[in-house]
Amino acid sequence: MNLDDSIRWIWCALLTQRLRSLLTLLGVAIGISAVSLMSALGEGVRHYVLAEFTQFGSHLLAITPGKTETFGIGAMLNTVRPLSLADAQSLSRLNGVEQVIPVVFGTAAIKNDNLSRHSNVAGVGPAAHSVWRLKLAQGRFLPEDDLDNARPFAVLGSTLKQQLFRDRPALGKNIHIGSVRFLVIGVLAPKGQFMGTDLDDTAYIPVARGLKLFNRESLMEIDLVYRPGISANLIRSRVTQHLIARHGLEDFTLITQDEVLKSLDEILQMLKYAGASLGLISLLVGGVGILTIMLITTRERAHEIGLLRALGCSAAQIRYLFLGEALLLALAGCLLGLCITAILLLLSSWLLPGLPLLLPAQMVLLALGVSTLIGLLAGVKPASDAAAMNPIEALRQLE
Amino acid sequence: MRFSDQLRFNSQVLARQRWRTVLLLLTISLGVASVVVLTSVGEGARRYVNSEFSALGKHILIVLPGKTETLGGAPPLYGTSPRDLTLEDANALAQISNIGRVAPIIAGTARVSHGSVAREVITLGTTPDFFAVRKLTIGLGKSLPASAVDTASATVVLGAKLKHELIGNRNPLNQWLRIGDRRYRIIGVLEQRGESLGLDMRDMAIIPIRSAEQLFNSAGLFRILLELKQIDQLDASKQQILDRIRLRHEGEDDVTLISQDSMLSSFDNVLTTLTASVGAIAAISLLVAGILIMNISLISVSQRQREIGLLKALGAPASLVRSLFLTEALMLTGSGALIGTTCAELMIMIALQLLPNFPFYAPVWAELGAISMAVGCGLLFSWWPANRAAGLDPILALRGATGGSHQ
Repeated sequence: MNLDDSIRWIWCALLTQRLRSLLTLLGVAIGISAVSLMSALGEGVRHYVLAEFTQFGSHLLAITPGKTETFGIGAMLNTVRPLSLADAQSLSRLNGVEQVIPVVFGTAAIKNDNLSRHSNVAGVGPAAHSVWRLKLAQGRFLPEDDLDNARPFAVLGSTLKQQLFRDRPALGKNIHIGSVRFLVIGVLAPKGQFMGTDLDDTAYIPVARGLKLFNRESLMEIDLVYRPGISANLIRSRVTQHLIARHGLEDFTLITQDEVLKSLDEILQMLKYAGASLGLISLLVGGVGILTIMLITTRERAHEIGLLRALGCSAAQIRYLFLGEALLLALAGCLLGLCITAILLLLSSWLLPGLPLLLPAQMVLLALGVSTLIGLLAGVKPASDAAAMNPIEALRQLE
Repeated sequence: MRFSDQLRFNSQVLARQRWRTVLLLLTISLGVASVVVLTSVGEGARRYVNSEFSALGKHILIVLPGKTETLGGAPPLYGTSPRDLTLEDANALAQISNIGRVAPIIAGTARVSHGSVAREVITLGTTPDFFAVRKLTIGLGKSLPASAVDTASATVVLGAKLKHELIGNRNPLNQWLRIGDRRYRIIGVLEQRGESLGLDMRDMAIIPIRSAEQLFNSAGLFRILLELKQIDQLDASKQQILDRIRLRHEGEDDVTLISQDSMLSSFDNVLTTLTASVGAIAAISLLVAGILIMNISLISVSQRQREIGLLKALGAPASLVRSLFLTEALMLTGSGALIGTTCAELMIMIALQLLPNFPFYAPVWAELGAISMAVGCGLLFSWWPANRAAGLDPILALRGATGGSHQ
């Protein structure tokens, strides 16, 4: 029996029991589509979140005051060793540093005539325009004034402009932030939320004015863009040495964009695999389904096996035939499952265009690999049962 | 045929086809067990978060400086605003009748050193009420003095971990240490207690609030924790707080109020949804098991058609044949579900032994849901095969010549 014949034999065997084969591979197909949909969902979320973070460019380094292991809240607290505007200015002269944005964040009441709104206020340097990829709808962004002595200009987020001015023009008008007067010189295009802060409901003012407004000495963060081509480690050690020389000790925390992305990516990858493994339970049940059906099949077809053996088929050949049948069931189930997934993904791209669901190519390969494995594992016992049958006994079993 | 006869008949059938029965039980119990175990992890996470919050107390209201009117956004946690929230504001809030204890907090990072050992940790400036509000107990020495409400003094209470790192096992009381550029005398050490809501109380230094104003050169409070006397007057109290602030802040209520309820319920919703969806994904495996049951039932209908023909020839009505096949599926899925739930409970018990801090708990709705889904799948998917068996022509069936038989 050559390979060609074997394949035709298996194919016929599956076709004669059409309903049975269909139901068996349907089980595998549901399992495969559960796995691949979950991983597509995970991959979609991963891409979405990473895109959120990389929108600010990749050669970024953030410096926050205070050296503490308590992740993330250091910037909000007081500190005995402030990170000052002078620190930011001196960093901009460092070799390899392209742009520096000193940042202070807070909330304040913003008033225009009789309209008032409590919103976010961001005190930033002029470089925020290009580094944070802010798009202007009208006017211009904060000009390159002297950092210490910037003119009282403000740029409004789109929501904030709408709330304060409705449809009237905002450019050239005076607003009050807190009790200080600012001249509106620009309005931003809608940008959306980032990390729970609505960037559209934010007023951007010069950082020195922000520090004065909030009566703070310390910046909350210094964002630093370094020249592409310099390694993150090199710039990290340069900044560390520079600030230690200024402060006397390491009382600040550095985090590079790469590190943020790497740790985020790790978490999201884990979530993706956790989701896929939830689907794996169904696939496992589908695999047990193949095993059960194949066990029944070998018993039913004892007569046929006896005949094959009598005609000179070796036990090994019988084993391969039944293994092949299990394998074919699993692979067909896998293909059906992938088709179902593809259809559902197409549907979701129509219904939910916001969240791009992606099925990575390696997941398709992995699905094929896993179902091959499942087919083989489920086929081992039935195939060896079939191979171990005594041909005479099997032939006699004619009901 | 009596019902008990049906059961005996079915058990004989199931016992005869041992392999098949075992594998079917395996698939069903696998599905049920995974639903129950996974939801127990989700429910455990929910209970963990709940207990963390209730450790803080339901009566607690948090006041943050600054506010935004953004719809649906996160509260402005960075708490910076043009007008500081001050100790005087906190004292004014204490006048409100429904407010019991008031714990204003100034928080900052500073270098804490003793001899040659130094650590950069969070230093809190607060009043003695803080210990009661956060339910912190003093392990050694005493708490901040009563005068700390309004007077600076060079005294500090250390968290257990910080004490260990700075002083080791020696007696810390009345030792002097340095925070920033000022000196403080250790008067107490907190009892060991875990992290709560992201703030590790073991790794903190607590000083009187006026001392913190000097240390950080700022009168701005980071938070005020308020303890309400009566929880049912929450909304009225919130309004009174905003009124009081507006009176003191030139007509602006520029603070954000966070109650435990609102935080808790949003966490609760997220975690319950997560638990339910994880359970639902695991339940897909029960659907697959159902398809397998249908497949096997179809096979067994065609294999057992002589038997069915005989039953019908002896006078069994179609409904009896149908109920025989349905009860068989019911027995299979029912016992599979029971085995699955038992296994899941065992696994949860083992997990509880290994991770005693995490409250794994299988919610009743998940167990009942998984069991009824398994049994429902069994009934649904064996309906068609059972009908097929019931509709067999007895004479043809006895001859073994109807369609659907194996060749």
